[in-house]
Order: sequence, then structure tokens, then C-alpha cells
Amino acid sequence: MQRSVVVYLVGRIAQSLLVLWVVVTFLFFLFRLAPGNPLVAYIDPTFTEEQQQALMRQFGLDKPLSVQYLVYLGNLVQGELGDSFFYRSPVIELVMEVLPNTLYLTFTSLLVAYGVGVVGGILLAWRRGSRLEQMGVTFTLMTRSAPEFWVGMILLTVFAFNLGWFPSSGATSPGTLYASEWDKLTSWDFWRHMVLPATTLALYLHGLPLLLMRSNMLEVLDEDYITMGRFMGYSELRLMVRHAARNALLPVITAMALGVGYSVGGNVVVENVFGWPGLGRMLVRAVAASDYPLAQGAFFLIAVVMVTMNLIADVLYGVLDPRIGAGQQAQH
Amino acid sequence: MSVQSASLTPAAQEPRPVSGLAQFVQMNLEVFRRDRMALVGACIYLFFVLVALLAPWIAPYSPLEVIQENGIWLANEPPSPRFYLGTTNLGRDIFSQLVYGSRTALLVGFSAAVAVALIGTVVGLVAGYYGGWVDTLLMRLADIAFGVPFLPLVIVLVALLEPSIWNIVLAMALLLWRDTGRVIRSQVLTVKERAFVAAARISGAGDLRILFLHIAPSILPLSFLYGSLAIGWAILTEASVSFLGFGDPDVVSWGFMLQDAFVSQAMSRGAYYWIVPPGLCIMLSVMAGFFIGRGYEEILFPRLRRS
Amino acid sequence: MWRPWSKTGAGFSEVLYPLLLLFSHTPSRFVLANLSKEGTPMRRRVLSILPVLLALVLGLSACAPASAPASAPQGAAPEAAKAEQGAEPAAEMGELVPQIVVLSNVQAADPIEFESTRLVVENMKQLGLDVEHRAMPWEQQADLVWYNRTEWQMTAWRMVGRPERLDPDEFVVNLFHSSTAEKGYNFVGFQNDRYDQVSLAQRATTDREERRQLIWEAQEIIANEVPYAFVAYPQLPFAYRSDVWKPDTIVDAKGIGIKNFWTFVQAEPVGDQADFILNTGDVVQAINPLFISGAADSWITELIWDRLMRVGPDGLPQPWAAESVEWEDNTNVLVTLREGMKWHDGRPVTVEDVIFSFQAPATDEAPMYKPFVSKIAGIEKVDERTVRFTLSEPWAAFEVASLAKINLIPKHIWEPILADLATKEENAESYQEETPIGSGPFRFVAFKPSEEVILEANPEHFAAPKASRWILRIIPNVESALGQLRNGEINFLSEWEGDPTVLQGVADADPSIELVATTEVGFRFFAMNNRVAPFDDTAFRQAVAYVVPKQAIVQNIFKGFAVPADSHVSVALEFWHHPDLPQYDFSLEKAREVLAQAGYTWDEEGRLRYPAGR
Repeated sequence: MQRSVVVYLVGRIAQSLLVLWVVVTFLFFLFRLAPGNPLVAYIDPTFTEEQQQALMRQFGLDKPLSVQYLVYLGNLVQGELGDSFFYRSPVIELVMEVLPNTLYLTFTSLLVAYGVGVVGGILLAWRRGSRLEQMGVTFTLMTRSAPEFWVGMILLTVFAFNLGWFPSSGATSPGTLYASEWDKLTSWDFWRHMVLPATTLALYLHGLPLLLMRSNMLEVLDEDYITMGRFMGYSELRLMVRHAARNALLPVITAMALGVGYSVGGNVVVENVFGWPGLGRMLVRAVAASDYPLAQGAFFLIAVVMVTMNLIADVLYGVLDPRIGAGQQAQH
Repeated sequence: MSVQSASLTPAAQEPRPVSGLAQFVQMNLEVFRRDRMALVGACIYLFFVLVALLAPWIAPYSPLEVIQENGIWLANEPPSPRFYLGTTNLGRDIFSQLVYGSRTALLVGFSAAVAVALIGTVVGLVAGYYGGWVDTLLMRLADIAFGVPFLPLVIVLVALLEPSIWNIVLAMALLLWRDTGRVIRSQVLTVKERAFVAAARISGAGDLRILFLHIAPSILPLSFLYGSLAIGWAILTEASVSFLGFGDPDVVSWGFMLQDAFVSQAMSRGAYYWIVPPGLCIMLSVMAGFFIGRGYEEILFPRLRRS
Repeated sequence: MWRPWSKTGAGFSEVLYPLLLLFSHTPSRFVLANLSKEGTPMRRRVLSILPVLLALVLGLSACAPASAPASAPQGAAPEAAKAEQGAEPAAEMGELVPQIVVLSNVQAADPIEFESTRLVVENMKQLGLDVEHRAMPWEQQADLVWYNRTEWQMTAWRMVGRPERLDPDEFVVNLFHSSTAEKGYNFVGFQNDRYDQVSLAQRATTDREERRQLIWEAQEIIANEVPYAFVAYPQLPFAYRSDVWKPDTIVDAKGIGIKNFWTFVQAEPVGDQADFILNTGDVVQAINPLFISGAADSWITELIWDRLMRVGPDGLPQPWAAESVEWEDNTNVLVTLREGMKWHDGRPVTVEDVIFSFQAPATDEAPMYKPFVSKIAGIEKVDERTVRFTLSEPWAAFEVASLAKINLIPKHIWEPILADLATKEENAESYQEETPIGSGPFRFVAFKPSEEVILEANPEHFAAPKASRWILRIIPNVESALGQLRNGEINFLSEWEGDPTVLQGVADADPSIELVATTEVGFRFFAMNNRVAPFDDTAFRQAVAYVVPKQAIVQNIFKGFAVPADSHVSVALEFWHHPDLPQYDFSLEKAREVLAQAGYTWDEEGRLRYPAGR
């Protein structure tokens, strides 16, 4: 790799770490400076004074704020996220347990969204000016503008409550125990539970790739070499797929890595509507219950996922963009 | 896409020059004349603004008023001439709520849009013009804003501070300026090399004067563009936050209506008259924002080839 | 050549992606555009737009947000009051009664509390008071009410029904005895010497009839002094599938409902489905016999661990793990353990385990259980199956509050754990066994905190369940739970926070779904801070009680699923509830009468004023 690219990467990684540090600090102080006594939810009023003090010591809340912060940072670096007030057990275990669920949902939705989006974009570009295109674009704009939870509610009513085709909540059927993660991933039951939440998210997310692909295609289709191809008698289909689409696809691929970051908001809401046991649901519940360590941990993990995906996107872009390579070589 | 099109050069990107108030107005009108969808968007906004301003006259009841007869609340009434969209689980008129909800939506939308556009523009202007450590600092801030997951932060802020719509606007203002800021900064970087700016400098104009009187006006259409998109994001965000239960309990908004419906088992009751209208209104107002934005973009960055 | 990263240090993600978002619906022309900026006429354009925008925002902010309409005080009231008192010289009027803030939970979390409060606040305004309804999340509300006892005036509140509260002792003493006013459950600061006497006397006597008279007197005192304005005893609706469980094996426990230990253990399957699948809306916090965590957690704890006695469906304690419980005198109790009981790991349950189970909470490791063993002065082993408890003072509620509350835990597992915890800051509440071991009718199988808890029947138990598994599903969406009941994914609806009429509709329409609603032993009320004016005046509190529209609340907010409340001892406790208490039925006139008689007056604007001299 060229040196400047390496420098660039190192710079980006450093920047990501900076972002994470700011997030962590901001959250830490925000929670502790918010109004209300955090321990209200956790101290039974019948406790004696000593019991309450003991509990505060246990939570580490008896030390001054700055000390708490340093302890927290120190722990964080070692991968220790503290103990949840609510569950009284390590936050890291709790969030890592639900992280896979969120990732499965997010990736599935993204794959579906981008798959459908890309194909749809090609289709709409091909059928430019037709009613299909108009309807398609309108439909896409509609799904991008509608609140995800609302779409989710409607899907839930129609497909789960009325038609009964899909389960209405959770990731597994009652009483199912999987021997391993792989078993879960290959089970029909799990995917059945994922259909509705993933569809809801995908409906929202497909707008970007579809419109982007369509507009890229439209540009590319005006290029000279496409016109040449037509003169040379290549079929429309071949032109579409083999020539136009390939070139139009690149930015969409890189955009997909970023899609994770930007879909994180949608995750939170969809997880709540469908009772999907993921990070978003855990975050909302932790915040509502004033469980600061857990809320911080969940938020932090979401931020890590987002920052990582942004980083990957940058790397992908740096590697894939021919201009970078070309520009570098021209200079050396 | 810019990555692909080698034909993209700055010159090819030159938008229509606009000068003078009359031409400005004409440009605005042309946005809507040219792009039918932008016109539709503007009409939708206008409609909602009118509804919001005339709410006390349009809505037959107060939005939180419980309608009762002989001590019994008229709850879960289906749509009728008396209650156009029926009543909620606690005897409130849904139509009135929808009408008053438009006020909240527009208030949140415009406030957030103004905040986002304002902050983003100022940041972009200052960072682009002054450069150096100011630039670096501001862009670092923008990096950080990019790295923070948006909705989770809004939830955390709103839950910890009071649940009020202004806290929602605050949370949005804290993060959403990042796109605007970066783009405007890039613009400023190119604009400040222009001849007329050098001329102004030579003639002794101070920095602030140049910044706000010469450079800013060229940047503003871009701010408006982002602002119009921000309206949509703001309305959606407020709805999501209300839906999750962190919304302002004293304020009737479309998100509040959906949450109320959800919590009162409207789905099981088949109360589509309650579930559908608020969502539809949200959808329309966000779409309107997209359409208008697209219309502006057509004018500001006209396509080279009519494809 | 433009390289985004070289100038700004930013990458694709920061610059180009947002632009993709923006321009994705048209051919994208990016940031490279140079906008024209010929001369200053632009300035005018800018200046012309800004005022329009500003006007729009200001106009809208003036209109929004819509809050509840404030109803003006009745014109009739002040005139009537004045007419009654004749022409009062203005100088005789006391100070204006200051603004009153009434707290409640937020609408989303507790719509019943929120709406009831809103109603009451409206009615209070009609008395000429300046009242504000302030809603806040429960944690903030509790913080204010519990930890800042002089800084609130009036709040909506609720006492939850639990099996232990089936004996009125807990409510009668803890809620109003002066000793709990500083830090305990008497957060309203009620002080009444006669009440202190009566409440302790009922605890000491073992004669039921005498105890009942004392408890009745306690209720009378409260009804006259009105530290609380009672609202209602909620009726808890539960539902189950009668095509899965035989209806005559479902047990309806007084004050608790059909969701109780007895149903779980005795329900008999109709057909093949022998998994008892029920729901809860909130996550399960812990499965720990030394920790009182959430409500759903206690259902699990009750099934995995045995207790010496249990509160039966009739509300009275009965021997469970104990074969017999004998009171030798009023401070010595002889308990004989059942034979043949085994822990889930196969080892036998011994008398040493029983002694250990009562000693462990007395340490500092289980603060929530400590109060329940605090009156036990000593436990001694009499023989291999018998143990004697010696109390420090006579305690009528010992059986319910202690023997039916303390979980029997295996000494061989918990002794080393507690010894280890004693050296650390944490207590037993933080400890979560991998595989919790008890001796109860169900054994632990799996615990997925956000999803479900799975238990299986313990066939060796003396009351082995007929169901084969007990599965608790965590379903936060209430409608989803209903949907799952309808399609059979769950077969017992153990939590329904929603509109009971919806549940009723479903049960009516489907013959295989049965709805059973039970009046609970808990209640909802408005707490008035007796330490703070004007709530330190009994007459004022009575007036407030008169403006709580109990019937309307029961009918419209509870949708008929509640009973108006008049006492802290619920109607569900038939034996203990006083049948003839002052009702304080809704009446604005009576409220004004009471105030007038106490010397309150209304000024020309209809605002309420203190009696002269205050």
C-alpha cells in the first residue's frame, strides 16, 4: 500500500477512537448530571441507612464524579463496562448477548434492501418515463417518508394478527433452546420471526440504493460507450446489466457499509415494535429504568458498530476508487 | 456518480447565475413551475401551514378534551358526522387531534430546520473562510457528530432532561448540522478564491463583512435545501421519540397520536381510522420536503443533459 | 484534483455519503459546483426571506403546544359561599391558598394514573384553587416523594397487591404508623397517636375477632382523617385458553387473581399441550431467592424454591414444606419439616438447611429479606425434622410475613457463596446462580433475560405439577401478547396492561378463551403530604377527597374493571375490610361546604383563601 494511504488509514482510525472517547465521556456525564436520583429504582425504601450506603458503594456511586470517571475509563480500556444496576451483572455480558440479534437483523435488512434497491434501480432506469417508473419512484419515496414504526404496526396487524402468517414478537418460539448459534441461524423458526421486522427495515432502507442506482444508471446510460453499444447491436438487457449496472454499482456498494450506521436509528424503533431482543430494545429499556451502566454500554456498542462500519466504508472507498490509485501513481 | 463521471468538472457544475430580487423571486417561482412534484410539495406544506394556523376554527373540539355524555365518556366511537375520525380510547376527537398535531409537526419541523441550517451554515462559513485551527476544530466536531448514533442520542437526551419538544429540537440541532456544515464549508473553500472576494478584500472590507455579505448569500440556497430536508427528519424523529414513550405529554403531535393508539390496543380493535391518518400526515409532510428539495436542486444544479 | 480527505481529513463517509442521501433521487451533481455570487443584490434576497421564516416560526410557536383546557372556577361557587357567610369584610380573608402541584406518572407509562390525575386537577380548580398537573417518569416521581419528603404536595400513587399483603398487617402498620414517616412507607407523614396504638395492638394480638375490631378502628381513623384520597381497587383481568387447561384446575386466589402459584402447580392439561406458557411485559431481572426483584421474577422464585408455609387461595397461610406449624405460646413456634424433600441436585433437604435459610437473611447480604426475620430472636434444632423459632415479641403476622416469605435455600450451595460475598462490597442480590437449585415443584432449565425463562416440572416434588414445563415469555407489546394468546403461542395471559374491554371482547368472541377478573388487594389513591400546608388541615384533605370522581374514574378510565376504594384494607380481604366507612362520593357542593365550615373563603375572583389568621 502506498504510504499516504497508510497514513490516511491511521488517521481515520485515530479519528474513530476520538469519536468513541467523546461519546463515552458525554454519556457518562450526561447520565450522572441528569435530574433525579438514579438509585430510586434500585433501593427499596425499607432499607436502613447502612444498607443504602452499602448499595451505593457497590455501585461505585459514593466516590466523587471525577474519580468515578477515571475508574470508568480505565475499565473501559480493559473491556469492562461495569455492572448493570438493574441486573446486577456485568454489562458486557448483557450487551454481547443481544448484539448478535441486532447484527443479524441489520445485515439481513441491508442485504434485502440493497438487493431489491439495486435491481429496482436498474429496472426503473430501463423503463424510464413509463408508468412503472413513476409508480416505483413514488412508492419508494413514500416508504422513505413514512415512520418505520407505523409501517411496522400495519405489517403487524395485517400479517401477524389478521392473517397469522408470521409470529408477532420475539426471535424464537416459546421454549426453543438452540445448542449453538449456528443452529439458531439455520433454523426455519428463527427466520420466520425475522421476516416482519426485516421487511419493515428493508422497506425503509431500500429507498436510498434504489434511487441512487437509478440515477447512476441514467447517467451511465447517456455515456458514449453505451450509445456505441447500441449501434453495435448489443441487446438492451446486455447493455443494462453487463455494462451500465457494473459501473453504476460501485458507489452503491460502498454506501451499503454506511447503511449500517444510518440504519441504527431505525433498528431501535423496529426492535421495540416487534419485541426483537436486540441492542435497541435493551437501550430503550435501560434508559427508561435509569440503568446508567447498561444504557451507556448499549449506546457505546451501537456507536462502535457505527464507527467501525464508517471506517470500513472509507477503506473500501479508498481501495475501490480508481482516482485515488491513479492520483497517487501520478505523483510518485 | 461523481466517482464515475470523469466528465465532471467544476465548470460543468455551474448553476444558473441569479442576481437581483426580482430574478430571485422568479427563480423560486420557476422551481415550482418547472418541477411539478416540487409544486405538489409546496402545496402540501401550504396546506399544513393553513391548517395549523386555522386550527381553532377547523377543529370542532379541543384536542385533549374528553367528550362525555351523562358522565360516560364517548370512547372508541367510530367515524361519524359528529366525529369525523371517531374518538380515542379516552373519548377525545381524533380529527381535532390531527388538526392540532399539524402545529406541533410544523413547529418542530421548522425549528429544527432553522437550527440545523443556521448552525450548519455558520459552522461551514467560519470553518471554510478562516481555515487553520478553527477549521480543524470545527471539522473535528463534525466528525464526532457523525460518529454518534442519532436516534439513540435523542432518546437519551429526552429521557434524561424533561420530555418536551424543545429537547427533541435541541437533540436534533446538536447532531444534524453536520451534513450542512461540511457541504457549505466545501463551497466556501471554492468561493473564497473567487475574484470578487479578492476585490472586496483589497478594497478594505473586514472579514465578517466579506463573510456575511459576500460569501453567505451564495451559500444560502444550499442551506435552504438542507433545511427543507431537515424538516422531514425532524418530524420523523419527533414521531419516533413520542412513539417510544419519551415524548412531551402535554403536546398533541402525530407521533403522540400513534403512540396513544398503540398503547390503547387500537390495532386489536381494528381502529384504522385512528392508526392511518397520523402516519399518513407524517408521510406527506416528509415527502413534501423531499419534493421541494429536489425542485431546488434542479434549479441550482441543472442537469447538463436532459436524460 | 479534488480529494475530500486531503483537505479535511474526512473520508467518504463524512462528505459524499450525506450528499448521496441528498441527491439520490436525481442525477447527482455534487459539491463541486460553484454558485454564482455576483454582487450584493443577494443580500436583499436573504433579508427578505428571513422575516418570513421568522414570522412563521413565531406564529406557530404562539399557537402550539396545546395543553389541557383550563376551566374557570364556577361563577356560582363564590357567590354561594359569600351568601352563606353574609357580607364578609375583605380584611377578614386569609392568605391566598398557594399553587398546588399534583404529580403523576407520564401518560405513556401509566395512562390510568395520568388521566385520573388530570380529572382530579380539573375538579380541584373548580374549588378556586390554582392547580398544576405535573407528569414525570416514575423514577423522578419516586425520587421526589420518597427522598424529598417536604418538597411535594400531592401525588397520585398506587400500592401494588402482593400475596404477602393478603394479611392487612403490612398496610395497616407501615402506611400510617409514625415510625415509618421519616424513611418508610408513611411518606405522607401521618401522625396520629391513637392510630399508632391501634395498629401495633392488632399486630400483637392473636385473637382474630379482637384483631378485626382493632383493624376496623384503624380504618375509621383513616377515613376521618383522610391522609389519602382513595380512588379504586383495580380488578386485574387475566385470561387463559380453556382448550389447553381444564378450567376447574385454574385457581382464583382472593386479592390476587388466577395468576398465582396454585394455578401454576395444579393446572391440568386438556390435550397434548402440557407447556404452561405465559407472558410478562417487562424483562426478568434476576432469579435469586435472596433478592426481591420484579413482579415476574417473584413468580419464578416461588416455583423454584419452597417455603415452610404458603398463602393459600383463601388468603390464609397453610403449611407447605412444613408438615405442621405449632404455636407453643405467643413467641415460640414449633415447625416440623416434611419428609423426603430433595434439592434439585439430588441432595436431601435437612433441618440445617431450614435454619440456614432463616439465618442468611439476617446477615447483611440480603437486605430486602432482613425485615422479615428481624423479629426472630433464635432458631434451634429440636430433632432431625423439627425446629423451634423464638420471637423477640409476639407477632401475629409471623406466619404470613416470615414463614410464608422466606425461601428455603440449600446450605451446601449458599454457605460458601455468602462467606465469599461477606468479604466483598456486593451482596447476594448481585449473585446469579448459573443453575439455580431449589426444592420446589419446578426445576430451572434456561434463562434468556430479554426473551424467556424455561422451567420444567419436578416429578419428585410432593406437589408435582401436572404441566410439563413452565415457560415465561417476555413480550413487551401488549397487543402482541393478546395475538399470541389467540393463536395459541401462549396459553395464559398473565399480564394485561391494556384496555380490559379489548380483552373482554376477545374472550366473548372466542369460546376457548376465558377471562377472569379479580379485585386486587392493592389500590390506587392520591397521597397528600400531611406535613405541608394546606394539606396539614384535615378539612382541606376531606374537601379534596370529595372532588375525586371515583365512579367516573372506575367507569371511564378503568372501563368498569375496578371497585371504588374507601380504605387501605381492600374489599378483597372480606374479613378485614370495614363495611361501613364514610364514602366521600363525588360532590363539589360538599367539598365547598366542608371548606366553608372550616373557615375558608373565596374572593371576588373565586380564588380560595385560607381562614382568617393564616
